[in-house]
Amino acid sequence: MKLHLIDYLIIALYFLFVVGIGFLLKRKIKTGNDFLMSNRSIPLWITSLAFISANLGAQEVLGMAANGAKYGIYTAHFYWIGAAIAMVFLGVYMMPFYYGSKARSVPEYLKLRFDEKTRTFNALTFAVMTVFSSGISLYALAMLMQTVLGWNFDVSIWLAAGIVLVYTYLGGLTSAVYNEVLQFFLIVLGIAPLVYIGFHLAGGISGISNNVAHAKLHIWKGMDSPEHNPMGVDAFSLIFGLGFVQSFGYWCTDFLVVQRAMISKNLNSARLTPIIAGFPKIIMPVIVILPGIILLALQKQFSGFDLPVNANGATDYNMTLPLLLSKLYPSGILGVGITALIASFMSGMAGNVTAFNTVWTFDIYQSHINKRASEKHYLTVGKITTVVGVLISIMTAYVAKGFNSIMDLLQLVFSFVNAPLFATFFLGMFWKRTTSNGAFWGLLSGTAAATLTHGLTVAEGKGGWLGHVHTFYSGVSQAFNIAGIAFIACFLVTVIVSLMTKPKKDEELTGLVYALTPKQHDRAKVCYKNPLWLGMIVLLIALVFNIILY
Amino acid sequence: MNKLLDLRFVIGLFFLVVGVLLLGYSFVSENKARNVTEVNRWCGIVFILFGVFMNILRKSADKVNDKLS
Repeated sequence: MKLHLIDYLIIALYFLFVVGIGFLLKRKIKTGNDFLMSNRSIPLWITSLAFISANLGAQEVLGMAANGAKYGIYTAHFYWIGAAIAMVFLGVYMMPFYYGSKARSVPEYLKLRFDEKTRTFNALTFAVMTVFSSGISLYALAMLMQTVLGWNFDVSIWLAAGIVLVYTYLGGLTSAVYNEVLQFFLIVLGIAPLVYIGFHLAGGISGISNNVAHAKLHIWKGMDSPEHNPMGVDAFSLIFGLGFVQSFGYWCTDFLVVQRAMISKNLNSARLTPIIAGFPKIIMPVIVILPGIILLALQKQFSGFDLPVNANGATDYNMTLPLLLSKLYPSGILGVGITALIASFMSGMAGNVTAFNTVWTFDIYQSHINKRASEKHYLTVGKITTVVGVLISIMTAYVAKGFNSIMDLLQLVFSFVNAPLFATFFLGMFWKRTTSNGAFWGLLSGTAAATLTHGLTVAEGKGGWLGHVHTFYSGVSQAFNIAGIAFIACFLVTVIVSLMTKPKKDEELTGLVYALTPKQHDRAKVCYKNPLWLGMIVLLIALVFNIILY
Repeated sequence: MNKLLDLRFVIGLFFLVVGVLLLGYSFVSENKARNVTEVNRWCGIVFILFGVFMNILRKSADKVNDKLS
């Protein structure tokens, strides 16, 4: 792919704007709270778009297009089952506890609800996970730029990391959030023309129906058995493993996204943030999944749309979006498309760095190292942590370059840690009998269960490093089942240990547990201000999409 | 200064500038293939309209804030 001057101009303009936003916000940052929590002053429309954009990283943009080509419209389950319900649940039921408890982070909520060891376990695993994720984003960006554009790997790493460092160092979380909103519009407006052009070239709906395998154009048919659908899953593991455990485990407990709601101006805005984000979220398949399906239709009708093979000889589906950009976009709009890709990587990296920053400063440094320093001191710590976080990301990117399989390993470890989390939060928020020891040992057990399941089962040649007890039909099916088993293990151990240990007194749990928290009666009579009503509308639209594409 | 801190203004300005660049390029580009000029021209127009729309949103929000204060 060859870029011309106009394309480079657009990329340079984007870099200028993101750094400029950092400089403009610098004068507003005076304390650690401003830097790390935006002083809880961000308007609803910004928190909603940042909520969805924080998740709209490289894995989403490239990965979902790849999945669209590999699994067809089945991929939409990650949105309509795997996101919408959890986002509504977060807004309606969980945000009152996160926001109302005045916790500055998800681990801090765990400290208030349980104890310091549960908080520290979650904080440490999250901090490690998120800073390494940032490095993986950086590595993936550099590899893509090298492969597609012929850019030098080192230049891509240091340029992207340098720009993210500048705007997050200057403006903190507010700068990252503002840039996420800009990146959201850039990704949508940068890729939408590609969908439009590709859709018409493929012959519209009839062209796609005639040229794409029937199984890839339906979202629920073939769910009776993994062998009958492109994703290789059955209905139960999809609904329980993805729709419940993985989905709720990510959207309701991952601080990277929850943080965007926690910095809202007030409780109602915090509740509305994930729900309003639900509207663009359920339409995102048009932008991120449809390109993959369009590619399948174009492959049947034209030459030159074949995907390359990777080093293992398998089809490299991750090249779906770059291939379409190179074939369908002329110079000019190509610059916008490439900038949108770069933006997705950078927003992922910046989101991880700022989440790491907050958790490190409040949950690890302030809790264990220096409890009573001034706000100015924590601001300095926050800034130093930003630099350290970016440097660790760069180091991770170079390690990943040398050992490619480390990316798979890291992502696997993250899934083990995330899988049981929702059980802990669910029980903690809705069952006052849950004790600190129950939560801690439940988390450890869930993580161990996830690790064991992976070690004893095989899918697509992965796993089975402890033994071979069962073979799953696909890697996706394995992941869903690991999540389900981890959740059940965490849930059961938490309940059993809680019944054997002493709970906190009711007075200590007010505002932290559903039964002991005064119910907030939504005064908003109009549906567009009422979280429950808006949530129902989101779910109804998702249901209609499922019916239309059954 | 307040205007610069308003994210709607910043986003609007970005897309306005990109839109103008695309529109201008569609006229001066050496590649006169119809689909090339059309894509850039239409995208440029859409981006400019989006940029204007964001600024209209900002101004109407400012008016509401002025009335409330």
